[in-house]
Amino acid sequence: MLDTFILGLSSGSTCLLTCGMVFFPYLMAGSAGTRKIISDLSFFLMTRLIVYFLLATLAWYFGKTIFTSAIFRNYISGILYILFAVMLIWYSVGRNRKPDCPAKIVTTVNNKKLVPVFLGVVNSLGFCPALLLILTKSATQGTITQSYLAFLGFFAGSSLYFLPLPLAGRFRKKKVFETVGTLATGLAGIIFIIKGFTNLIGGIING
Amino acid sequence: MDETVNNPSMKKSFGKSLLYALPMFLITFVFITGGKPDFSDPAGTLAILATFLGMNILYFLMHYTGKTDKFRAIIFIVFALSLSFTLIRNMLEIRHSMSFSQADIVECKIPFCHLVIPMMILPAAFTKSIIFPGTILGGFANISSMAVLWLVATLVLGRGFCSWGCFYGGWDDGFSRLRKKPVIKKISDYWRWMPFAVLLMVAITAALSLTPTYCSWICPFKAVTEFEQVTGMESAAKAGVFISLFLGLVVILPVLTRKRTQCSFLCPLGAMNSLSNKITPFTVKIDKKACNECFKCVDVCPLFALTPEDVKNGKVSIFCSKCGKCVDACSRKAIHYGIKGIPAGSMKKFSRNIFLFVSFLFIAVFSSGAIITVIKSIFNLFI
Amino acid sequence: MKKIKIAAGIFWAILCLLLILVLFPGLNNFSSGISRFPFMKINPNLTGGEAAEQIVMKSCTLVVRKPVFDGLIGERKQGFVQIDWRGNLPEIISDTIDYDLDKKPDFVIRIGRSESSTVLKPLNPKVRKVGISTPTSYGWSARIKIEK
Ligand code: SF4
Ligand code: SF4
Ligand code: SF4
Repeated sequence: MLDTFILGLSSGSTCLLTCGMVFFPYLMAGSAGTRKIISDLSFFLMTRLIVYFLLATLAWYFGKTIFTSAIFRNYISGILYILFAVMLIWYSVGRNRKPDCPAKIVTTVNNKKLVPVFLGVVNSLGFCPALLLILTKSATQGTITQSYLAFLGFFAGSSLYFLPLPLAGRFRKKKVFETVGTLATGLAGIIFIIKGFTNLIGGIING
Repeated sequence: MDETVNNPSMKKSFGKSLLYALPMFLITFVFITGGKPDFSDPAGTLAILATFLGMNILYFLMHYTGKTDKFRAIIFIVFALSLSFTLIRNMLEIRHSMSFSQADIVECKIPFCHLVIPMMILPAAFTKSIIFPGTILGGFANISSMAVLWLVATLVLGRGFCSWGCFYGGWDDGFSRLRKKPVIKKISDYWRWMPFAVLLMVAITAALSLTPTYCSWICPFKAVTEFEQVTGMESAAKAGVFISLFLGLVVILPVLTRKRTQCSFLCPLGAMNSLSNKITPFTVKIDKKACNECFKCVDVCPLFALTPEDVKNGKVSIFCSKCGKCVDACSRKAIHYGIKGIPAGSMKKFSRNIFLFVSFLFIAVFSSGAIITVIKSIFNLFI
Repeated sequence: MKKIKIAAGIFWAILCLLLILVLFPGLNNFSSGISRFPFMKINPNLTGGEAAEQIVMKSCTLVVRKPVFDGLIGERKQGFVQIDWRGNLPEIISDTIDYDLDKKPDFVIRIGRSESSTVLKPLNPKVRKVGISTPTSYGWSARIKIEK
């Protein structure tokens, strides 16, 4: 477990790339005080934890057969990226819709509680090299407990990076941060769509 | 509105304008010629003289006519064109192509440009190193001297850098002046916050990947300076992005809107410069007593720096680049160059004189090298 | 208070004026001053890292650089090692490289200069693929992606 904790710790900065980039702007966009941020953050971290446990179980169950297949990995993560990225952009656009906007569906889909959950899923399915490593590790390890422990360690290590985020709510000038945050969420959506597409065509962005 | 409000014109008499232009004349002579012009190269000497005289005539006219933006724009646009020309010529001479090869990246020989600065800060703090494949000292456009120039310019001018210093801004400034009337009039000023979002993204991605992501994926000015050789899918995609952003944000939208859309909606350094507007002593002020809320200034501002609310509150926003367009447009002289601490409506001439001296001196000396190179090349064609 | 504010504003403005006046004549001094700051060096991810070993061969010198894993905080799992060939290079470069200096070969690299082809044969599971392989002003450089 210690090795995966250290792995999480060292790759946590990359994790911040996949979701900090989304989550930080999101927090600024919605900043309704430290309390709201803490609750969003816990939702987010909880989702990650749950997804990791699911992953651990899956990894243990499927073993080498599916997750080591690069094609499967690229397709699934590509599709997921695009799916969630579109949701993100919807969300950021949705926030600025005037009440008379015809795209009503956007605002109905846009359940604010769900956003941190989406992000948690996107992030934990990020398939960063570190995660793949643990996946393979769990897949080759005997017991399910070992698999869980490996993911727990990774979760703890990488989550440390998100703990200072509640302070983001202390900013003055909420309106400005809200605007910038919303725009940045939209941009992150675009980045994820690109990432999704490149995963799909099997290319690689950012090494 | 009280029509008798004291609104001194910024115009000066011929003699007085000459007197004001004299210090600039002498100082630019020393800075541009290095104090001792070399007459052995006729084309070079002529180019230096032409640049030096042209600039000083523009400065004189700023005092004589009381208008700023028109004359500033000339030097700003010529600077942008000249710099791109110089860079491309350099590339063609040294590499026989407009693009960098991978070797230039591997050997860290890429000229540095100020747009990289927002991406350098986090990595410099965490890794104590610079994430740009350029040279620290020596060579063409090295990191140290560009950093010093930008640092001092933003400290002194704030976002004034974006109208008196940046050698890219002249591109969209130029295209935004091509049509007399805008075709697209309504653009929400909401989008003016976009550069901050870009700044945030670019700073985070650059820090985490330790590569200048804006340069490698977004920068529209790659299209007119230099870009990575197209060797595969990725570099082709990049070239596509550079060219479409350049066409869209620097050419087409500025022509249609009469606004500097690239600077207003994309450039992350512009966002950073806006923040530095808080430090600089120079600003643009609105004298609420003199203003009749005609909002002409709002219409002409190329950077969405003014909204009707800003005018009503008597405050210019942080996006202002001190270009002077609004100042020139206001028939009541209610909006004017000012110095922080001095109340709006007072000491207008004094503030303008100091600001013009400082900002003009910067752009005159900073741009002179590139402009001289271009004029010299033109002379060489004919002589 | 108002007068103090005015005076402070004017003072700051004059100071800025002086700053611009000394900027250009002093640019070289300021630049070399700033270049001495500890963070004013290029990141190894871009320079390719320091030389670890130099092997002088018949007509050229082979330089194996230290592997680069530098990340924002700590080290990354994936990095690269840069190999330079300096001097008069043969048409076909073919070398066996031991980048971790453990006296065991890690990969064989074969570069055809005229058709610009690079073939990598990993002998160590940590060696992944060719990143960059390009002619340079001094000869040829290749960056091979490796794992920790
Ligand atoms: S916004 Fe960017 S490109 Fe435009 S003038 Fe400013 S620094 Fe230059
Ligand atoms: S142009 Fe002059 S008078 Fe008209 S709104 Fe602007 S500051 Fe006021
Ligand atoms: S507010 Fe005036 S000086 Fe400032 S950018 Fe707009 S037009 Fe130029």
